[in-house]
Amino acid sequence: MTRNPLVSDAFVDLLMFDALDVSALTAFDHFREHDRGTFELWVQSCRRLAREKLFAAYRPMDSAPPALSDGRVRTHPVMNELWPALAETGVINATRPYDVGGQQLPFTVATIASFYLLAANGAAYSFAGLTTGAGHLIEAFGDETVRGLFLEPLYNGTFNGTMALTEPHAGSSLADLTSTATPRGDGTYSIKGSKIFISGGDQSFARNTVHMVLARLDGAPSGTRGVSLFAVPRERPTNDGAWEHNDVHVAGVIHKIGWRGIPSLALSFGDEGDCRGWLVGPSNHGLKCMFQMMNEARLLVGASAAATATVAFYESLAYARERTQGRRLGDTDPTSKPVALTEHADVRRMLLEQKCVAEGSLALVARCAKFSDTAQHHPDGDERERAQMLLDLLTPIAKSFPAERGFQSNALAVQIHGGYGYSSEYLVESWLRDQKLNSIHEGTTQIQALDLLGRKVIARGGRALATLCEEVERDLATALSKGVDPSLVASVREALARWSALTQALAAKGLAGDVHGMMGHSTDYLDATGSLVLGWLWLWLAGATRAREGHFYDGVRAAARFWVTREVPRVHALAAVIERDDQAFLGLDERAL
Amino acid sequence: MKILVPLKRTADPDNANKIKIAPGGAKVVTDGLEPKPNPFDEYAVESALRLTENGTNPKARLAGDSVVVATFGAKEASQTLRQALAMGADSGLLFEASDENLDGDLVARALAKVVEREKPDLVVMGKQAVDGDSNQVGQILAERLGWPSATFAMSIELSQDKKSVIVGREVDGGVIKLKLALPAVITVDLRIVAPKSITNHVTPQTHNYQEGARYAPLPMIMAAKKKPLAEAPFASLGVEGVKTSYVKFEAPPARKAGIKVKDVPELVQRLRAEAKAL
Ligand SMILES: Cc1cc2nc3c(=O)[nH]c(=O)nc-3n(C[C@H](O)[C@H](O)[C@H](O)COP(=O)(O)OP(=O)(O)OC[C@H]3O[C@@H](n4cnc5c(N)ncnc54)[C@H](O)[C@@H]3O)c2cc1C
Repeated sequence: MTRNPLVSDAFVDLLMFDALDVSALTAFDHFREHDRGTFELWVQSCRRLAREKLFAAYRPMDSAPPALSDGRVRTHPVMNELWPALAETGVINATRPYDVGGQQLPFTVATIASFYLLAANGAAYSFAGLTTGAGHLIEAFGDETVRGLFLEPLYNGTFNGTMALTEPHAGSSLADLTSTATPRGDGTYSIKGSKIFISGGDQSFARNTVHMVLARLDGAPSGTRGVSLFAVPRERPTNDGAWEHNDVHVAGVIHKIGWRGIPSLALSFGDEGDCRGWLVGPSNHGLKCMFQMMNEARLLVGASAAATATVAFYESLAYARERTQGRRLGDTDPTSKPVALTEHADVRRMLLEQKCVAEGSLALVARCAKFSDTAQHHPDGDERERAQMLLDLLTPIAKSFPAERGFQSNALAVQIHGGYGYSSEYLVESWLRDQKLNSIHEGTTQIQALDLLGRKVIARGGRALATLCEEVERDLATALSKGVDPSLVASVREALARWSALTQALAAKGLAGDVHGMMGHSTDYLDATGSLVLGWLWLWLAGATRAREGHFYDGVRAAARFWVTREVPRVHALAAVIERDDQAFLGLDERAL
Repeated sequence: MKILVPLKRTADPDNANKIKIAPGGAKVVTDGLEPKPNPFDEYAVESALRLTENGTNPKARLAGDSVVVATFGAKEASQTLRQALAMGADSGLLFEASDENLDGDLVARALAKVVEREKPDLVVMGKQAVDGDSNQVGQILAERLGWPSATFAMSIELSQDKKSVIVGREVDGGVIKLKLALPAVITVDLRIVAPKSITNHVTPQTHNYQEGARYAPLPMIMAAKKKPLAEAPFASLGVEGVKTSYVKFEAPPARKAGIKVKDVPELVQRLRAEAKAL
C-alpha cells in the first residue's frame, strides 16, 4: 500500500498560501524577519520529522503505554529519541519571542506544521505542546524568579510541562477545586491536594517536570474567583543550584483506551507537607491566567482531532483504492473482474465525508490560528479587537467540531476497512480510540456548547455575532467572484440567516430570564453552528482554488459541494428542533430515564 | 577544509508515478509535481556537514572549515540552496539556467568552472539525480578536473591531516575501500547517512548521527536568511552547448502479473526452462 502522507501537502499549500495568505503576516512588525521561505522550510522540517520519526513510533507507543515502577513513570524508550528531536528542531518554542529563545514564528504556521506531527503521533507531540503551554504561562504571568527558574529549561526541553487543573471531584466545574496553597513566608507556597488525569505528569526522557497547578490560597473566596495558579516542579531547586525532591507523587497511572503514548496520571501534592509552589500571576486570578493556556490547548485539541481524522482518511483512501470487492451496480456478470472499493457509491460517500470533516477541520483550526496572530500583532487596534472577537467565538467550535465529527469520520475509516478495520492488525482502530478523547478533555463538548451559546455568540451585546456574519458574508462574496457555484453560496447565506435569527431568539429568551429555554439545546446549537461554519470554510477553500484544473482542485470543489448540499441543510433541521424546544428530556423526571 | 556540494532541484520523486510523456514522446512532463531537492544531494549536504563539525549540539562548523552549495537552475532553486543553508551550509551559489538547456556534460563543465573559482578541497555530490537517473556528472567532473574520485560512497573517513580520505564504496558483492588524495570528488549513495558512516577524527566515535539527512531547525532556518547567497547568470561561467538530444520518450511496458509456483522444484524447473536463469 502507498505510504500514508499523514496530511496532504497540496492541501496544506492551498490552505497556507492561497486561502490564508500567510505571507501577508510578514507585514506585521513582529514577524518581519520571516518570509515565505522560512515558512516553507519550517513546514518541511516538521513534515519530515513527522513522517520519518514520529509516525514510525506511533504503533509501538500505542502498544506499550507508560508504566509505573518505584513511584516513577517510564515512558516508551523511543521518546528518548523523539523528545530531543522535537526540542532541537525548535518545536517547543518556535512561536515564542526572540528574547526568550524563540523565533517569533506565526502561530498560524506553527499550527499548520503541527498537523503533521499530530497526525503522525499525537501523544509524542502532546508532550511538546503541553510544555509550550506551560512555558507560555510562565513567560506571560511569572515574575522574574519563576521565569529564571523554569522558562529556559522548559523551552529548550530540559524539563517538560503540564497543566494540572482537574481534581477527582472537580472536572468540568473548576469552581469546585479544593487544592490549597499556604504562604511559607519566603515567597513560595506550600501546596496540598490531589489532581487527576494529568497528562505528561511524569516521564523518563526529560530532567524534570513543571506542573501548572490551580489551587486556592487560604481564605480565598469560593468559586472560580478564589483560584490561583502555581508552578510546582517535581524537583525543586536548592540554594546551591541542585534539584531535590518536591513532595509530588504519582498516585496512579490511568489505563486509557487511546492516546496511550503519553501518561495521564493521578498526582498528589504535599503528602509529606513539603511541596513548594511558586505563584504565577496575581493571586485569585489563576483561572484567568490559565485560560490563556486553555484557549491555546483547545485549539491544540482541535488540531489533534483534525489531524487524527486526516491520517485515518488517507489510510482508508489508500485501502479503498487497493482492495477489490464485488462489481459495479448493474454489472451482473460474475466472470467480470472485481472492482476497487472506490467504485462503490457509498464507499465514495464515506471517503468524501471524511475528506470534508478532516480537511475542513484543518482549515477551521488554521483559520482560528490566523485570527490569533492578527489579534496579537496587527498594527491596527480595531483589527486586533475584531480578530480577537472572532477567535473567541470560534474556539469552542474549533475544539468540538473536529472532535465530534472527527470521531464519526474515524468510524467511517474503520467501516471502509470492513472486518479488517475491526482487527488490531490495522491502524484505523487506534485512531478511533484516540479520537474519543478530544470531545472530553479541555472542556467536554457539552461545556463548549454552554460556552458558545451562553457566552461567546452573545458577547459584547451581539457584536461578536454580527462580526461573524460579516466575516462569512465577506468570504462568500469573494468566493462568488472567484467562480464558486452561486447556488452553493445562496445555500450558505440562507443557513447563516436562519442561524443568526435563531441565535437572536435564544438570546432574547435568556434576557427574559428563561435560562433553560435558551440553553436547553445548546449542544444541538453547537452542532448546527459547526455545520454552518464548515459550509462557509469549504466555499472559502473552493474559491481559493481559483478554478484551477487537476484532480486535487476538483477534489476541493467536490468537497465544498458535498458539504453544502448534504450538511448545511442540517442547520435548518436543527434550528427547527431547537425552536420547538420540546421538553422530552428537559421536562422529564430523572427517575423516568 | 572547504567542501563544495552541487545541488539539483527535481520533481517530487515520491510522486514519480504522476509524470507523463508529452504527445509524440517529445519530453517528460512533470506538471503539478512539487519541486524538491534531489535526495542524494541532501545526503551529500549531510555528509559535508558531518565532515566539518564536531558532533555537539547546537552543531558548529570546525574553525577553518566551510561548506558551499551551488546549483544551476531556475530562480526558484534558490529555495533549495536556502534549505541547505538552513541545514548548516555556509554559503550558496545560484547560476540561473533553464533545465532544458543543461545536460550532464554541460553541468560537469560548469561545475569545473565553479571549482576553479571556489577552490574546494573536496566535492561531495549525489551519485545521481532522481529525475534523469543519469549518474554521470560526478565522473565527468573528476575527469575534467583530473582529480581522483570515488562513486557510490557509503562511508567516508577523513585523515587526521585532512590530506586524504578513505571512501567505502558499495559494489556488487560488498564494500570496496579506496584511499584518495585530496582534492577529490566523491559521489554518495543512500547509506552515507547512516548514524556512523562519517569519520572526521573530531566528532567522538561514540556519537550517533540521526539516520538520514538532518531536519533544518528553526533557529538555523532564520540564520540561513543572513548567509551569503550569490546569484549570477549561467552564462557568466563561460561554458555552453549541450551534447545530449532526446529522440523519444516511451513509458516502459506494463509489467505482467507474476505467477505462483507450488513448490521449490517447480520454481527451479521454471527458472531453468522458461527464464533460462539457471
Ligand atoms: C486522557 C485524559 C487526559 C487529560 N489530561 C488532563 C490534563 O493534562 N490536565 C487536566 O487538568 N485535566 C486533564 N484531563 C481531565 C479532563 O479535562 C476532564 O476529564 C474533563 O474536563 C471532564 O471532567 P470529568 O472527567 O470530571 O467529567 P465530569 O465533569 O464529571 O463530566 C461528566 C459528563 O457530564 C457532562 N457535564 C458536566 N457538567 C456539565 C454541565 N454543566 N452541563 C452539561 N453537561 C455537563 C460532561 O460533558 C460529561 O459528559 C484529562 C482527561 C483525560 C481523559
